[in-house]
Amino acid sequence: MLSFDELLAADANPSSAGWLRPNLIWLQGASCSGCSTSFLNVEQITILDFLTYFSRVLYHPNLSTATGDQVPRILTKVAASDKPYILIMEGAIPVGMPHACMMADRPIGEWVKGLAAKASVCIAAGTCAASGGVAKMAGTLTGAASLDDFLRQRGIKTPVVNLPACPMHPEHLVYTLLHFIKSKRLPELDDARRPRQFFTHSVHERCPRYPAFQARDFALRIGEEGCLLELGCQGPVTYNDCVAIGYNGNTNNCVRAGHPCIGCAGELFPRPRLYHTHDDPKAKTGVVVKKS
Amino acid sequence: MTATRITIDPLTRVEGHLKFETRIENGVVASARTSGMLFRGIEKALIGYDPRTALQLTQRVCGVCPYAHAEAAALALEDAMGIRPNANGQLLRNLIVGAYQVQDCLFHFYQLSALDFIDVTTVLDYRGADPGLNTMRDWVRNETRSQRIFPAAPFLPAYKGNVSKDKEYSLSAVRNYLESFAVMADLHKMVALFGGKSPHPVAIEAGGVTTRPTIGNLAQYRTLLNRVERFVHSCYREDILAVAKAFPAYFKEGRGYGNFLSFPYFPDASGKNHFFAGGATIAGKHTVLDLNAITEDHTYSYYKNKAGQGIKPLGANRLEPLDWQEFQREEQREDGKYSWSRAPRYGGKVMETGAAARVVNTYHAGRNPALRKLVDRLNRDLGIGLKDYNSVLGRHLSRYITVSLLINRLKEQVEQVEPGVLGFSEKEIPRNVRGIGITEASRGALGHWVKIDNKGLIENYEMVMPTTWNMGPRDASGQPGAVEQMLIGTRIVDPANPLELARIVRSADPCVACSVH
Repeated sequence: MLSFDELLAADANPSSAGWLRPNLIWLQGASCSGCSTSFLNVEQITILDFLTYFSRVLYHPNLSTATGDQVPRILTKVAASDKPYILIMEGAIPVGMPHACMMADRPIGEWVKGLAAKASVCIAAGTCAASGGVAKMAGTLTGAASLDDFLRQRGIKTPVVNLPACPMHPEHLVYTLLHFIKSKRLPELDDARRPRQFFTHSVHERCPRYPAFQARDFALRIGEEGCLLELGCQGPVTYNDCVAIGYNGNTNNCVRAGHPCIGCAGELFPRPRLYHTHDDPKAKTGVVVKKS
Repeated sequence: MTATRITIDPLTRVEGHLKFETRIENGVVASARTSGMLFRGIEKALIGYDPRTALQLTQRVCGVCPYAHAEAAALALEDAMGIRPNANGQLLRNLIVGAYQVQDCLFHFYQLSALDFIDVTTVLDYRGADPGLNTMRDWVRNETRSQRIFPAAPFLPAYKGNVSKDKEYSLSAVRNYLESFAVMADLHKMVALFGGKSPHPVAIEAGGVTTRPTIGNLAQYRTLLNRVERFVHSCYREDILAVAKAFPAYFKEGRGYGNFLSFPYFPDASGKNHFFAGGATIAGKHTVLDLNAITEDHTYSYYKNKAGQGIKPLGANRLEPLDWQEFQREEQREDGKYSWSRAPRYGGKVMETGAAARVVNTYHAGRNPALRKLVDRLNRDLGIGLKDYNSVLGRHLSRYITVSLLINRLKEQVEQVEPGVLGFSEKEIPRNVRGIGITEASRGALGHWVKIDNKGLIENYEMVMPTTWNMGPRDASGQPGAVEQMLIGTRIVDPANPLELARIVRSADPCVACSVH
């Protein structure tokens, strides 16, 4: 497994090192742009280097100067060309209600289908693209699909990398891209097509409060020391390295902020209860959520 | 008379999937339609969930301004519970939402808007020593000489048009465009220090903030705030003034109705005495806020329910979205439904929300000498009046005013936090009760309404969003939405490059994910 440092080292000259800046197309489906704004916080490389040295961002909805007609022209031309490119998908795809997400008079799914089929690799950025996330939460009507499901249903064989977390961790994307650019293959993936590097351990296993759990010392209120399981923590069922590497350049993470894990990188995110008081009878009995 | 249509779909460099159409007669916009093209239905999906989940899930409506949803949802639930956070809880919440608001305004100016006023290829003439500009120059030169597909993307292609001839300003805008990424990352760190992470800070809950303040995290916050302050008071200020001086005509472009709605924002430690005043300014007259005046119309929105009468918040359990065939039929009709967004009205009036509304209403309310002093000084320097805030540049300037004043408040309030004291108290979920939470998101007046049932679960939830106010469609009476009105009357120099229209719509900072949710 290559480390981040190994990927960042020894790249004095891209062409002599044998790698080329890949073309990137970034699309947003049923999304909130949170993974894009999260990505812009990346610290391992600068955004300037990302744009001018590591890759060629042919289209990004929040960064491109291209406006209106110029956008479908770019996307159509790239899909029709023989140039290799990577497709980054942010947000889910409303399959049940294609008109719930339209771009340039076409459902977003049609754009994804056309572009994914010819992409070298597709990256599902964030929980909505990886497993549906809030776009697919119980009670929604749009029949939102993850990128992987969407492509599988259409027989599109382009490999997918899932980078769940809400928002996506910028390090996860940059690592995956650099790995693909420099070693010309994807990082090692698990059964859910997530890089093992980041998603092998549960939040619980590496939680700073794990010793408290072993001692069966449970916090009964916010602000207390101790394991947060009694307050609804989803660390044991959520696989992510957020407690190890933190968010925002390791400034903080949810558990360090005194809040139980809400399971934002989990396939079942969002569950109907994300934090509760230790004595809430609904939490004990597991009340069935009725939909109207 | 010659009539043409200009359709921009998608409008990039905004949040989400925005389309708009204008009908041009003799070179001038005669009518306009703005369309939000993403529907997720998160609001009504919340029915049956635990009310606390709304604090996390409504944030996911928008990854650009999640903080405001966390705050509004917390206020609504606290209103239902009948509690308020203690002083530390309120102050920490302010430190989170204030830093995030500043980040969002910088993002809007530099990443989303600034490139509309300059020509990026100006960097080709750069001869100085700034490393970022030198990298950009060499890259743009190599790219434009290459045979690559779409050279110098994502900075080309772009609409051609009347951009700044001022080389110094153009270079400054590019340099600070690049510089601002690190500043925004610093602001997100300030959010994360007490919010846990950013975007989507987890630590704002009904009852306060779960993070315990320490001497350490307060010191880190201060250090980052000082760095941000330097950027805001030098770079951001200079760039705003430069664009204002280069494009004085844009204090007249993009005029809307001039009706401004804002909600009280940024209280002191007691949760009262908001720094920015709420209220409504209609035809130049300021009145106090009346939440009962708010209704939402869906005559031109893609929903099946019978339309024609505005619905009050929590007045409908669910609007049934059109199916694919119905959607296609509406698209074919000349006067069909055309947006997922609804059309909020205030006493039947179309209102603009956002930074300009916040500044104008606070000015009129007359209880904020710091704001009044700054506005008066800027108006004098730029030769404008309060009525000119109803314009493209008025909106940009108002964001700077918000940011500049917020920085000072954050500096004061970080000193008021008592290290070691938890700013959170818990309370069980009440039954059969309603709550309202109102605040200002970066894009303007935001309200959350919650109704809790007899089992302590969400019976109904309603969010009325700033972009719904601004970007909503016409209503039953045919009144165009706020941005639609801003577009009407605009002269288009070159229909193939309708830069004027893009500038106007971007000045309102649309967030489509929010507006439809």
